[in-house]
Amino acid sequence: MPKTVMQLVLIGFAFLSLSVLADPAKVYTTCAACHGDKGQGNPQLQGPVLAGLSGEYLTRQLQAFQQGKRGQHPQDVPGQQMAAMAKSLLSEETDLAALSAYIEQMPLPQQSTRLSGDLKSGNAYYQNNCGACHGGQGQGNPAFQAPRLAGQDSDYLRRQFMYFKRGIRGTDKSDKPGRQMAMMANTLPDDKLNDVLAFIGSL
Amino acid sequence: MSKGNIFAVVLIVAAFFVGRHWFADTPTVMTDSRSGAGYSGGAESTGSARSGLVRAIHTAPRTGTVHEVREGELIMDKVKVAEPGDTILVYPGSYSETVYIDKDNIRLSGVIEKGQRAVLDGKGHLNDAVLYSGNDIVVENLLITKYKGNAIMGQAGNNFEIRNNIIVDTGVYGIFPQLGKNGIVTHNVISGIEDAAIYVGMSDNIHVAHNQVFESVAGIEIENSRHAIVENNYVTNNTGGILAFITPGLPVKTTYDVIIRNNFIVGNNHPNFGAPGSTVAGIPPGTGILIMAADEVVVEGNIISDNKTAGIIITDHNNAPNTTIDPESDPAPDKVAILDNLMHNNGYDTIDEAKALMLTEFKTGNPDIVRVGVSRDSCIINRHQYVTVGVDNWAECGFTHTGDIMTYLLDKPVEPREIDPSEVGKVAYLGICAGCHTYTGRMIGPPVQVIQALYMDNAQGLADYIANPVKKRDDYPEMPPQDYLDATTRLAVAEYMLSVSK
Ligand code: HEC
Ligand code: HEC
Ligand code: HEC
Repeated sequence: MPKTVMQLVLIGFAFLSLSVLADPAKVYTTCAACHGDKGQGNPQLQGPVLAGLSGEYLTRQLQAFQQGKRGQHPQDVPGQQMAAMAKSLLSEETDLAALSAYIEQMPLPQQSTRLSGDLKSGNAYYQNNCGACHGGQGQGNPAFQAPRLAGQDSDYLRRQFMYFKRGIRGTDKSDKPGRQMAMMANTLPDDKLNDVLAFIGSL
Repeated sequence: MSKGNIFAVVLIVAAFFVGRHWFADTPTVMTDSRSGAGYSGGAESTGSARSGLVRAIHTAPRTGTVHEVREGELIMDKVKVAEPGDTILVYPGSYSETVYIDKDNIRLSGVIEKGQRAVLDGKGHLNDAVLYSGNDIVVENLLITKYKGNAIMGQAGNNFEIRNNIIVDTGVYGIFPQLGKNGIVTHNVISGIEDAAIYVGMSDNIHVAHNQVFESVAGIEIENSRHAIVENNYVTNNTGGILAFITPGLPVKTTYDVIIRNNFIVGNNHPNFGAPGSTVAGIPPGTGILIMAADEVVVEGNIISDNKTAGIIITDHNNAPNTTIDPESDPAPDKVAILDNLMHNNGYDTIDEAKALMLTEFKTGNPDIVRVGVSRDSCIINRHQYVTVGVDNWAECGFTHTGDIMTYLLDKPVEPREIDPSEVGKVAYLGICAGCHTYTGRMIGPPVQVIQALYMDNAQGLADYIANPVKKRDDYPEMPPQDYLDATTRLAVAEYMLSVSK
């Protein structure tokens, strides 16, 4: 085969694989087992809701998993699983922005969990300690890179909150949003977390 | 109705009659408040030798220069050249600017001609109308409208007099002396304010009298302040009429010795239009007087009528809406004294919490007085006149009137605050920022602990933000620019804000 043809074939092959990797819908099929086909989450596998999260936040989390800033702590088993997925399912060539944009436009999930708790106290502590970054309705606020909390699984939120509090997530020097959240995790009295989660679940 | 329900109703009714039978036999205690012992005031107050009308602090004739401002000129140009002791006369006309007085002893006085006033018009885009950080400041006879932040805000100035102003539809606070000692707020007409029409914050020895406040979320608010008298005001159609509060998370942790007397507190049923999630957004429409965590509040001689939730609500922090606990503040309102008041037609459309409380005491009717949570050593006279819940076990008061106390203003103006250069940041923080930011809670702006998480050690970034704030949160008002402070002060206050821990 002449060299130029060979080169063309090679380029064509590279192009093909790139386009597969770049097709977010196809990439997402590998995520669906743990996060649901519509990003609605899968509590059995501890996979959180992804629908409703912003593209910016999704990309940042995927990079954090890939770069070992999240999901490498020995006590964070679900995080380790996700970190492994981020390294195996996604490669250097994956267009993370496109994948995140694809997930971002998934419709908001229907309310799943209803935790019981004191909603009045939950509202008070949420509005005073959390709402200034996550929004009064738990809708998230891109100005602070703070993700949507409304609609997220309560067990997942509790786990992440405790990770921040116990220094398992949000410790890396370069992870400013994570460190900001970790500071806030220390401001909530322990006995109010359940009320706050119940309030978020009611939004 | 199912059998179970009928049974429950029968039980409640039976309990009700049993309750009446058991508790109603105590004889009615009637107290004649036309005579008897008088309230002696807070322990620390100095007791004033003043008598007669309380109208002014500065009564000596003024000898300084008089600067005149007419339409087309800037008030601020005269402020810049004025010396302490000077008067600035503003003639009728329209002025659109922020006036910032950072020197002592200036009188900013509108001239009223045939009913025409000097109008400060924020046009919906300016933030504050009048700010002062000097001592011995007088602001009078102005008409202020359409500002987004404050109409008149005092920042750590003592001996202030704010009188005869009309304030319509301006942002978050109407008249807001913060961190001042010895001051008067009288004869102002204020309406359409998203938080408090008159907000006395972290101040001492204050006299708030003869004001008309209406159609605001909170009418008159005495917050984290001591030795204050609120009298002869006409407070109507606000969400909550008169409030004595400890707001958790502020640098000053107490409110005590507040006399609320001889006010008309009528029909405060306005829908609550406070920013959702803020403290005042939790006030139920139809609240005449709200006492939250404040101590030694005496309520006497008011006409309290037509407030649909209750005439007076007394609550601790644990039971107050949108409120979290400050470990350094006692959450309980102690030593509250309710003397004779005319209460009529309150509580006719009250909240479920009040109804539930009434059920526990087997009470019926529309509540005039509702107490929730802890309150120690409180007292009341002539309780038989009102429908009450939560005050049955309060003592009879040992005094029946406050007539021995004319005012808590001081006999002589207090010395101006000396500010050491190393304290510039702290004073600006206390005098300005703490008006809208508490450490732990959402007041007007986000809590300081959130700001600390956002900025960490980036004081310069914070200083840059306050010079030229951008809107970041849908459900908060805008943060007014602090560009009237010089760059050194902005950095100092930023550093201080990042260093506080309570
Ligand atoms: C084997 C199951 C599994 C698969 C497959 C998987 N994930 Fe995850 N993912 C998880 C778990 C479990 C977590 C929660 C980690 C934790 O609790 O710390 C998670 C967390 C995440 C988060 C963080 C969400 C948040 O709110 O912070 C993102 C983003 C994410 N996954 C994206 C993906 C994408 C994109 C794919 C497909 C390429 C994928 N995941 C595939 C299990 C999985
Ligand atoms: C200073 C702003 C700020 C405040 C206040 C704040 N957070 Fe956060 N929070 C963040 C940021 C930023 C993130 C994303 C961190 C990251 O990128 O890893 C986050 C993430 C979270 C997460 C993880 C969500 C997920 O999908 O993995 C939870 C749970 C959470 N916050 C709960 C709370 C609660 C509860 C409060 C109130 C006690 C609170 N936050 C207050 C900024 C804040
Ligand atoms: C009249 C009320 C008011 C006063 C006085 C005030 N602020 Fe604010 N501040 C606000 C409001 C409202 C916000 C929220 C603005 C937004 O999110 O758009 C805010 C937000 C902030 C923020 C958050 C910025 C961010 O990035 O999220 C900082 C920092 C701040 N203020 C500092 C200060 C300092 C320092 C002072 C005193 C010099 C001060 N503020 C005085 C009302 C006020």
